[in-house]
Amino acid sequence: MSAATNRPQAAAAEAFAGWLQGLADGSTAGEEQGWLSAERQQAAERVRAQSVPTGKSEEWRYTGLRSLIDQGFVQVDEPLTALTPEDIEEVLVPGLDACRVVLVNGRYSETLSDLGALPRGVRIGSLRAMLASDPEALQGVLTRIAGAGNHVFAALNTAAMQDGLVVLLERAALMERPIEVIHLSVGMDAPRVAQPRHLISLGEGAQAQVIERYVSLGDALYCTNSVLEIALGRDALLTHARVQQESLNAFHITGLYLSQDANSRYAGVNIGLGATWARTDLVTRFSGEHAECDLQGLYLAGDKQLIDYHMDVRHGLPHCRSRERFKGILHGKGRAVFDGLVYVARDAQQTDADMSNRNLILSPNAEVDTKPQLEIYADDVKCSHGTTVGQIEPEALFYLRSRGISAALARRMLCLGFAGEIIDVLGPEALRDYVTEQVGERLERVPLE
Amino acid sequence: MLSVKGLKANVGDEEILRGLDLEVKPGEVHAIMGPNGSGKSTFAHVLSGREGYEVTAGSATLEGTDLFALEPEERARLGLFLAFQYPVELPGVNNMYFLKAALNAIRKSRGEEELDAVSFMRLMKERLKVLHLDDSLLKRPVNFGFSGGEKKRNEIFQMAMLEPKLAILDETDSGLDIDALRIVADGVNALRGPERSMIVVTHYQRLLDYIEPDHVHVLAKGRIIRSGGKELALELEEKGYGWIVDGEAA
Repeated sequence: MSAATNRPQAAAAEAFAGWLQGLADGSTAGEEQGWLSAERQQAAERVRAQSVPTGKSEEWRYTGLRSLIDQGFVQVDEPLTALTPEDIEEVLVPGLDACRVVLVNGRYSETLSDLGALPRGVRIGSLRAMLASDPEALQGVLTRIAGAGNHVFAALNTAAMQDGLVVLLERAALMERPIEVIHLSVGMDAPRVAQPRHLISLGEGAQAQVIERYVSLGDALYCTNSVLEIALGRDALLTHARVQQESLNAFHITGLYLSQDANSRYAGVNIGLGATWARTDLVTRFSGEHAECDLQGLYLAGDKQLIDYHMDVRHGLPHCRSRERFKGILHGKGRAVFDGLVYVARDAQQTDADMSNRNLILSPNAEVDTKPQLEIYADDVKCSHGTTVGQIEPEALFYLRSRGISAALARRMLCLGFAGEIIDVLGPEALRDYVTEQVGERLERVPLE
Repeated sequence: MLSVKGLKANVGDEEILRGLDLEVKPGEVHAIMGPNGSGKSTFAHVLSGREGYEVTAGSATLEGTDLFALEPEERARLGLFLAFQYPVELPGVNNMYFLKAALNAIRKSRGEEELDAVSFMRLMKERLKVLHLDDSLLKRPVNFGFSGGEKKRNEIFQMAMLEPKLAILDETDSGLDIDALRIVADGVNALRGPERSMIVVTHYQRLLDYIEPDHVHVLAKGRIIRSGGKELALELEEKGYGWIVDGEAA
């Protein structure tokens, strides 16, 4: 009996191991760099040692991997170079003035990127190219923050990274123009996985604004397994928007590893609209006091969609501040997972941490699994967390309808009002307007239930 | 304008309205007074189509159209307006955006062109002037964090923008100090006209010092038990409701 029940499990584990192995052995960037090769071999070892995460593993409890494994994604080594600037016009944000970087299927595109003139002390370019031309600039930074990663996909990315974006700001460098990063995915003959690796490093007192957008051409089926490492030096300031609006056939994994030195400030907003299966891990470590980390997010999940945000913020030093504020709208058979951990070590006195997750459920078939956790070992801290899962207030709906507004528009207005608190944080205005419109359009397609 | 005949309505198993009759002609202002629990607010809610009430008998027509056959938004587009006793706070919904959506929904249903941003702003400024209001409430989310007086003023402003044929003011005076009451009443008076009827639902005579009604009705136990002119309100103020309600029971 037990043998019979174990067999599918064993088969799944085997399939998973085989799949990971195939990916970890793919072609890579910067192979000639000894320091990096060692890192990658270790990562590959870790991947090999992994067993398939099951529903019993807390990390993947609500987010099954079966559908991902079943796609049989393969890594493609050749970059797709056929696209012209006209091809990407449909995915641009109207009126957004930015220094633009475009990556196609995880590979940096020189043709489509348009950096303009960069101020002194700012470098933006391809990871692959920089590993070949100036590896010293990356040594000691790349892979330092993500370390072993917090799960197998981060290790897999380290083992198999092909290319990605590098943004380096020297001490006191100021990048006033926003940096827009378009992660464009295009369908290929076989379901393919891209494993880009990105690095943003701000030196002491440097400031930048980065807008990452994940978009697809058409309803492409693919998987992105990306890792982004962000290092903020003392007094550095990074404003960071991540807007995900991918095809409903896409699988998406992002590990964002953030390291903040004293008095630095990170303000991140995650907008999750797309992909059929999306998992994002936001991991923050403080290496100096009085640093501030602000993680906000808005997600919309409908039929055939799972959106999972995991947060792991570790206060190991005193006087740091962290905020996690995520809101979700679930409709149809949409599913979302919010799992936030704020850990406050014994020495991290005067920590100020607040975490909230609020959800609006529009359908009886939608589901959200939310788990905010505070683990506090210091005794002089200000920490709080809260979670709500609710529906649209009938009184609010009636109030709008009593003014002549249709039930459908009334509901959309209330949803946008709910979402607005997060969207309003976005800058610049062109991006804010664009996201408002995207969310509005999405809600317009949601049937009344 | 409004014709209500033999209206009975339940909340759950309890009958709240027990055969209510009311005729309101164009341009008339009717006051409906009555003790707590007499069914005043239920009447206002049933007419506007709020959920949670069951009409068991009778009819209500606005200019001949059966109100009970319509959704709340359709009643509003027909020209019915309810000023809420407790205006609902809508965090994140901008007041101007809300008003524009409402006005254009109503205009569209009448076959009129939707107002563009410029014409809307112009109209808004004009109406603010008529009501002697400033525009400070417009940039905020609807009723969110408003004081009691601000909420009621916002209701009156909506009424001025949407230009209903029949406005029902549900205890608009509740919780207002005398200054706020005066502002609200002045607004209502500015909106009186030969084509616009109003039903003022109130517990106290006080409001009627500022909004002079053509007719006063006393509602008790779900029925109108006495109707008269504005002098009836003064009589009620003096003697309380007891003498009529008890007289009716005896």
